[in-house]
Amino acid sequence: MVSAMEIYMLLPKTNCKKCGLPTCMAFAVALLGREKKIDECTPLIEEKKYEAKLKKLREVMAPLESASETGLIIHPEKCFGCGNCVVACPVNVAAEPTRCGVGLGPQGEKVILRVEDGVVVCNNVKECRRFGPNKVLCNACTATCPSKAIEFV
Amino acid sequence: METAVTIVTFRDIFQDEAAKKSKFTDEFRDLCARILLDKQDMASLGLKDGQKVRVQSEVGSVIVIAKTSDDDPHPGLAFMTFSPWSNQLAGEDACMSGARIAAKLSPSDESVTQISELLQRMRAQGIST
Amino acid sequence: MAICTGCSLLCEDIELTVKDGDISHVRNLCRKGHGHYQALLTERARPMIDGKEVALDQAIAKAAEVLHSSKAPLLCGWSNATLEAQTAGMSIAKKLGASICDTSPPCLGALMERIISGRIPTCTLDDVRNFADVSVFWGSDPSNSHPRHLSRFSYYPRGEKRQKSYEEERTCIAVDVRKSATATLCSNYYFRMQPGGDGEFIESILATLDGRIPKFGDKKRMIELGTILRKAEYGVIFPGIGMLYSLQNRLELFETLLAKLNEIATFKVVPMVERFNSRGFYQLLHAPGNSLAAAAKGCDAALVVGSDPLAELPLATARALARVPLIVIDPHRSLTVDAASVVIPSAISGMEAGGTALRTDGVKISFEPIIESDLPSDEQILAKILEAI
Repeated sequence: MVSAMEIYMLLPKTNCKKCGLPTCMAFAVALLGREKKIDECTPLIEEKKYEAKLKKLREVMAPLESASETGLIIHPEKCFGCGNCVVACPVNVAAEPTRCGVGLGPQGEKVILRVEDGVVVCNNVKECRRFGPNKVLCNACTATCPSKAIEFV
Repeated sequence: METAVTIVTFRDIFQDEAAKKSKFTDEFRDLCARILLDKQDMASLGLKDGQKVRVQSEVGSVIVIAKTSDDDPHPGLAFMTFSPWSNQLAGEDACMSGARIAAKLSPSDESVTQISELLQRMRAQGIST
Repeated sequence: MAICTGCSLLCEDIELTVKDGDISHVRNLCRKGHGHYQALLTERARPMIDGKEVALDQAIAKAAEVLHSSKAPLLCGWSNATLEAQTAGMSIAKKLGASICDTSPPCLGALMERIISGRIPTCTLDDVRNFADVSVFWGSDPSNSHPRHLSRFSYYPRGEKRQKSYEEERTCIAVDVRKSATATLCSNYYFRMQPGGDGEFIESILATLDGRIPKFGDKKRMIELGTILRKAEYGVIFPGIGMLYSLQNRLELFETLLAKLNEIATFKVVPMVERFNSRGFYQLLHAPGNSLAAAAKGCDAALVVGSDPLAELPLATARALARVPLIVIDPHRSLTVDAASVVIPSAISGMEAGGTALRTDGVKISFEPIIESDLPSDEQILAKILEAI
């Protein structure tokens, strides 16, 4: 996952404040938190001298585009299909205590994580405990993944 | 330039997945014909990630791709997945995986050994590699 | 629900849709199992004699002929065959006076003999899920070899006495020469060991359990490990080939450790055999099998059932096998199939053919075919050969 510093290095670093934030570092953090969009840095978009940096920035930010609203990203090409996240996810376990709770694949449709075609997929992501007004920093799925196939922004 | 290492073999899910579908694909070869080396060992051989290396044991030799291991430092120790390539190097007492193989490494310009070559060597009797 | 014969866990909760011989909407198969299922359609073997395609019955007849006329036949493979097929194979071996063995190394056979005879205490994987609070992966990396091991049994699921599971009631330890995927999950319960250092590692654990300072390894870490083991209620050790290879001819050291651990708490051993019915072969044989390395050198013909020894054996043994006429019964093309004089294509057990097998912990699991096939099962082919020899 790209870091705020890596993003900062691809910005103009002029602190021009055109994006509405006081410094480019603040903008980098806001980009990472998906509170701002790349296009809000007008100099980066408009000035030809930043063309290469803009291209690279779009590249490193691309995975975040596909991240869910909870910030959950799955890299299926890394996934082992081991089901650790399926069995660790507290929402999964609450929804299917006699299946996910005890290591079996889910049968219903209320779960967030399940293994399909050999790799993990996520649905109902709004049920994830990292989402919503009472959100918590649950990391059951990322902490139990053997291959960093599942991560949070 | 030559370095002596002990090779330990291991199982890899992506290689097993490819093997189940077919052992005759480039995909399978790419997942097998590789050796994971400690950063220091790579440097002492003057190797960059993705360059070819000859791996020579008492039993035989293969040409594979060298990759830097992302494990904690382990100079003198190298890792290869358990495969027909590692078996070309393995002595008779070597187990399925987890075998320890003493080998010498040297950078190479030759092409990566293909599976057809490995099969040929098995069928050739009394010919040393 | 379907079963997966991709590894020795024999997962039974596989869901899929079968239509016109094609599979889709597959659920719960790990990456390895999914590859196993995908292989339904890839590079299926065809009946052959000396490189020419023939009718299936001709190939079977030729196989019987070759075996019947050989003086020192070898029957090998077997780990990917059902109990029924293995039994038929043993009947053939008896009738021919043939050697019979699987492709596993002798060091695994030594462990299996002790487990099956009861000399080393064991339990089922369901017991692990229900009772184990300490799981030790020693020279094994289930994340890669048995991907659903941790989520179905040994670390993440809840069990009868482990309702709080990995969060509060289970500890997972990895002992290995490299930081495998499983070792990474164990984080600071990963104990790194030098290759070949298993004997010394055991001595160090024994020392800490006795309250002595360990002689080998990082003393602080070894004492840490000893403390965890001493506090265990129900520990399970899953030895991998790496450890068994290292302890060759010194398995008593491991038995000494187990005896010591069982003075403190309940400690069991569950093997990590590779193929879906490796366990079945050991259990049916009732005796340690012949050494394949020796048998391959002394045979004048070999029947290979559901295995690819030319891909899985060290060069010298592979060469020894490749020098004799090979008869291969297999669903797929393999290195051994390519080198064979006679090829007999078979139905895939678990998908196209039913039968029974033993999971790695010895639990018997039966399955029915879920896909129709014109091909005979291993069992049926071997029955025909038995009749004809």
